[in-house]
Parts: sequence; C-alpha cells; structure tokens
Amino acid sequence: MSGVVQGGWEFVIAAYVVSALILTGYASSVFFRYRSEKARATRGG
Amino acid sequence: MTNPNSQSRVPQVLVAGGVVLLLAGSFWGLFKAPGEIFMGDVQRIMYVHVPTAWNAMLALSFAFVCAVAFLFTNSWKWDNRLEAGMEMGVVLSILLCMQGAIWAKPTWGVWWDWDPRLTTTAVMVFAFGGILALRNAVEDPVKRAVWSSVACIVAFADVPIVYFSVKWWNSLHQAQSSPATVSKAFHWPLRINAFGILFLWIGLVALRSRVAALRLRGELGPPLPKAAEAQAPAPASGGAP
Repeated sequence: MSGVVQGGWEFVIAAYVVSALILTGYASSVFFRYRSEKARATRGG
Repeated sequence: MTNPNSQSRVPQVLVAGGVVLLLAGSFWGLFKAPGEIFMGDVQRIMYVHVPTAWNAMLALSFAFVCAVAFLFTNSWKWDNRLEAGMEMGVVLSILLCMQGAIWAKPTWGVWWDWDPRLTTTAVMVFAFGGILALRNAVEDPVKRAVWSSVACIVAFADVPIVYFSVKWWNSLHQAQSSPATVSKAFHWPLRINAFGILFLWIGLVALRSRVAALRLRGELGPPLPKAAEAQAPAPASGGAP
C-alpha cells in the first residue's frame, strides 16, 4: 500500500461519459422542446 | 415576457462555444495535465466535477435573482427565466452528485457518504427538484409564478450552506477548489471547462426561457388589442401582464 490511488481510468472515463450523456441529453431536450413549441405557436395552438 | 419570437442565434452560438471549450478543456485535463500526487489519474475527474459544482451554484443563484426580480416587478420574463435557471441548476446538481459518487468510490471506498457537503447537496437537489414538480402541478400561471418564486428564495438558503459546509463542519469532502488550493498545472483545464459549462448553460437557459415564454403565451391567450386592453379590468393579484 503506497497511499497513492492506482489506476482508476475506468472511473475517469465513467465520469466523463456520464457528463457528456447528461449534458447532451438535456441540451437535446431543450432544442427539441424549443422547436416543438415554436411549431405549435406557428400553428396557432 | 421573454421574447418568444426572438430569432437571435446568440444562445445557439453560446452552446456551440461551450461545447468547443468543454472538448478542449477535457482533452487538456485527460491527456496533457499531470496526474495528482496522491489520487493519480482519478483526480482528472476534477476537471468536470469542480466546474459543474461552480456552475450548478451559479445557475441556482441566477434562479434566486429571477425569483426576487419577479416578486418585485411582476414581469413574466423573470418567471420564464426562473423556470429555466432552476431546471438547469437541478440538472447540473444531479450531474454533480453522479460525478462525485464516481470519484468517491476509488478515493473514499464508498459511492456515497452522509457527510455535510454531500447531505446539503442532496437537500439542494430535492428542494429545487420539488419546486420544479410544484410548478408542473399548478395550473394557474400567477399562483405558479408567485409560489415558485417564494419557494426558490427559501430553498436558496441551502446554496451558501453547501458552499461553506466544508469549512463549517468536519467533512470527508475536500475544501473548496480555487486557484489558491489547486496546483498551477491544473488551472487551465479547470478554467476552460468552467467557462465551457458557463457558456453552455447560459445558452440553454436563454432557449429554455423562450420555451417557457411560448408555453405561457399559450396559457394566457393572445394579447388584447390596444383599445380592448384599455377597458380590460386590472389583474386580480397584480401578477398577470
């Protein structure tokens, strides 16, 4: 035991993948909702 | 009201700029910056975790400012921004907890601990998440705006507690990361990602406020013609436009 965390790249990759998925997912939902609300407003709904 | 018909592309440009900065900062943090002396490569999680924490608190602070502004001005634009800022703050706070859990496992040996920083952060997520649920449950736009503004102001009391929790109590969580507490070699990827997430959320909040404004316009109906508006009775609670 050296007191230094060994390896751990799987945790690093997991953190970056989770971040990318959540930010991309939320951004997509905002763009999708914006487009659909604009289309609804244009139709007069 | 936030102009729902705005054709400005500034939000999309901000989002695109944020993505570019995040890619650059993450590349620097993952492949160029040195590993930390005790945590080794696991510390590279810091380059997304710390900027997420800063920006989650900023987004919720923005929501707080919008809540206060709405109560003082009764202007719908602040209610639209409040909804957008709170939603963004909750998304970033949930992401923050997930990143933290992934970092905690190899360094603390557990995914979660009821330590002051983590507990107050969990309270923050549930408080603001609850307000978003409240907004969905209330149909009257005036009541929804007033109630959620007041609730947001009350819930915001937890945000400085989250920030100072590591100073006020013995915490498993390390102290706040700032240029003074982080080695110089780690500054640039941290800063680039912090601005990346900042641009990203500002752009998304601007677009999300337009969504809220469009929905509100659908709820309130079309604006009255000028002549009819002059004869129309004033809004009962002083909140409606």
